[in-house]
Amino acid sequence: MLSVKAFSLSLDGKTLIQDLNFEIAAGQILSIMGPSGIGKSSLLHFLSGSLSPNLTTTGEAFLNNEALHTKSIQDRKVGLLQQMPLLFPHMSIIENLLFAIPANINKIERIDMAQHALAKLGIPDKANALPKELSGGQQARVALLRTLLSKPDYLLLDEPFSKLDPALRRDVRAFVLNEIRQANIPALLVTHDTEDAKAMEGECLELGVVRK
Amino acid sequence: MPLKHAKWITGIITLLLIFPIVIGLVGTLLPAFAYFPPLGEHTISLAPWRQLFDQGEFYASLKLTLITGIGAPILSLWLALSLLAWGYQRPFFRKIEALLSPILAIPHAAIAIGLLFLLSPSGWLVRLFSPWLTGFDRPPNWITVQDPYGVSLILALVIKEMPYLLYVMLATMKSIKARESLQVGQALGYSRFTLWRKVLIPQLYPIIRLPIFIVIAFSLTVVDLALVIGPNTPSTLAVTLLRWFNDPDLSMRLMASAGAISLMLVIVLVLASWEVAHLLFRQLTRAERSNGKRFGLTDNILRLGVVLGLFTLLNAFVALALLPIWSLARRWRFPDALPSQWTWDNIDRAMPLLMELSRNTLIVAIVATLIACGISLVMLETKRHATTTATALNRPHVFDWLIYVPILLPQIGFLFGLHILLIYLNLNGDLCAIIALHLMYVLPYVYLTLKGPYLAYQEEYLQQANRLNHRPWRNYVLVKIAMLKPALFTAFAIGFSVSIAQYLPTLIAGEGRYSTLTTEAVAQAASGDRKQVGSMALLQAVFPILVFWLALAIPPRWTKWRLALKTLFSKNSKRNQKCSV
Repeated sequence: MLSVKAFSLSLDGKTLIQDLNFEIAAGQILSIMGPSGIGKSSLLHFLSGSLSPNLTTTGEAFLNNEALHTKSIQDRKVGLLQQMPLLFPHMSIIENLLFAIPANINKIERIDMAQHALAKLGIPDKANALPKELSGGQQARVALLRTLLSKPDYLLLDEPFSKLDPALRRDVRAFVLNEIRQANIPALLVTHDTEDAKAMEGECLELGVVRK
Repeated sequence: MPLKHAKWITGIITLLLIFPIVIGLVGTLLPAFAYFPPLGEHTISLAPWRQLFDQGEFYASLKLTLITGIGAPILSLWLALSLLAWGYQRPFFRKIEALLSPILAIPHAAIAIGLLFLLSPSGWLVRLFSPWLTGFDRPPNWITVQDPYGVSLILALVIKEMPYLLYVMLATMKSIKARESLQVGQALGYSRFTLWRKVLIPQLYPIIRLPIFIVIAFSLTVVDLALVIGPNTPSTLAVTLLRWFNDPDLSMRLMASAGAISLMLVIVLVLASWEVAHLLFRQLTRAERSNGKRFGLTDNILRLGVVLGLFTLLNAFVALALLPIWSLARRWRFPDALPSQWTWDNIDRAMPLLMELSRNTLIVAIVATLIACGISLVMLETKRHATTTATALNRPHVFDWLIYVPILLPQIGFLFGLHILLIYLNLNGDLCAIIALHLMYVLPYVYLTLKGPYLAYQEEYLQQANRLNHRPWRNYVLVKIAMLKPALFTAFAIGFSVSIAQYLPTLIAGEGRYSTLTTEAVAQAASGDRKQVGSMALLQAVFPILVFWLALAIPPRWTKWRLALKTLFSKNSKRNQKCSV
């Protein structure tokens, strides 16, 4: 359960978000919608711990009733998926996946986990391919599985579908929803596409309508 | 780089950069005013200056320095601009562009030696036209190279500097939107050259001002090139000062220090006058720019520049081609255009010497460049840190101007000042001292080459890596450094070639105990054993070209090769467990 209480955000004295509250249960995806510049991404940065210093925020975040906003980035165990898949271009697909699997798991099991992920993607033959040899949709899926393999406690999605071909989006959305449910962690999706929000089959909050 | 205490590191590096500059300056300034404890001189006086101004040679040398040091940059700039205006965006010009970096990589001493082989009275040019045209069956009694007016020195400087300026200009074409401006202008009916004169060159100049200043400072102070191909008795000021500094009569050092200070003042004055001249020139041409004429007689200045520029490039290539010919010649009598007999003997005979020189050269170049790469990475990381945390973005960082100081100061004088420090530290004649002095000249170029790509790196990749597994140092190397491989390799190649070319730093720090290909080639250039000098100059040129080629060839193939090796390895061992990155 990821919960945010009384979150406010302001930039140079101008309030962007005021008193935002929500809760996300494990395996659920909450969508947050709103026009650009309203502070959606900053909310994600607040939750991931990488907020830029010129923004001021107040509010609290809890993960399973444990305070999150006081923790440093490395202790948060957060997964973040952005517009760009950010697969490392100089590593093969399987190396990208192995990179994320925690080091304390033994070697054979790590390889099995990575192979399993590749099989799930239907590209077991692409283990030694480079990211640029995959299609955009495949890259997005690899990026999601890579993030999930790092065993995050919660997942943040920053418009992960916006760079994709419209035809591909439906498949990738369904894939993401299915994987998050299996991983059983709370996820927060930021988007400006109502289709995205609908496809996630969860709650949807709209920002920027009320506040000034 | 997960650096802590970035502010402290910035401070320490700043001090490390300032320290040698201050020591070098103080070590020149004090002797210039007759304060020089090692020689028992403890009183400050103007005697060295009086002695300097009484020397007729000082004025003659100064005149030559001004002629070559101002003439070469003007010519280089003119020819480079002409070639660019003529060839930019034309298909065959791309081929010339591809040839620029090898010319830049080759130490200037090697080019000067090649020019000596080409232009001297017994050189290839005279041979080519003898005896059928000139009637000479022995070398004529002309003075072609080392001419008393410094013309051959200017030519050598232009061959080195024109490609550099061209290279720098090409890199700025995108930022001034040259292609678009040309399209718009040509649609208005302007000729290509007129467009460059009226639209592009005025925009280009402010961006390349600093490289021009570097070229001017280099031309005014160059030593090795002037030793090989410059005039002697009188020689240019830098060479005269070198002779005074090395004079057995140690009191000459005081006068030489005063001369070195005057050389610094000359640089400042020339740079200042250059800027004033540019301002005047801009005022004079301002009205002409908007007079609406689509063609102009002045276009011909650029046209002439193209011809001369191409001729200069051709000269450079022929000069370089002569190096291997000389090192493989057995019999090459005067009017023959090519050796009558070829042999490997010259190289065989010189092998022990060449091996030793190459070893010294490579050790110094590789160690100094690797250290420079490491320091540059730390400097750039602290700079990145400062720009991301500071509220005022793009504020010029202390490193960005401090790094240029060693390149702009004349090596002569400055390095003798540092030499005194080396003596105090008991490091004179030590390999470490040579590496340290090389580092001072390698670092600026490595830093400047890495700066653009490093600061443009998409930090999101590293951030994502740190979210996936929190091992910041490992991620920094495996993700960020690995992704910056092409830039790092190029920076290494540039640093390496800068180190190979160093003459005075090796000479002064090594005190003759360690010779490199450059110091030995320059020392023997005048000796007349062309076969041996040719071999040294050839090696001097081959190493940087090889490293440049590797730096271009390896990074794009690295990942492919690494993965291929890995699959090969895992197939052989029949296990699928190996996973290193």
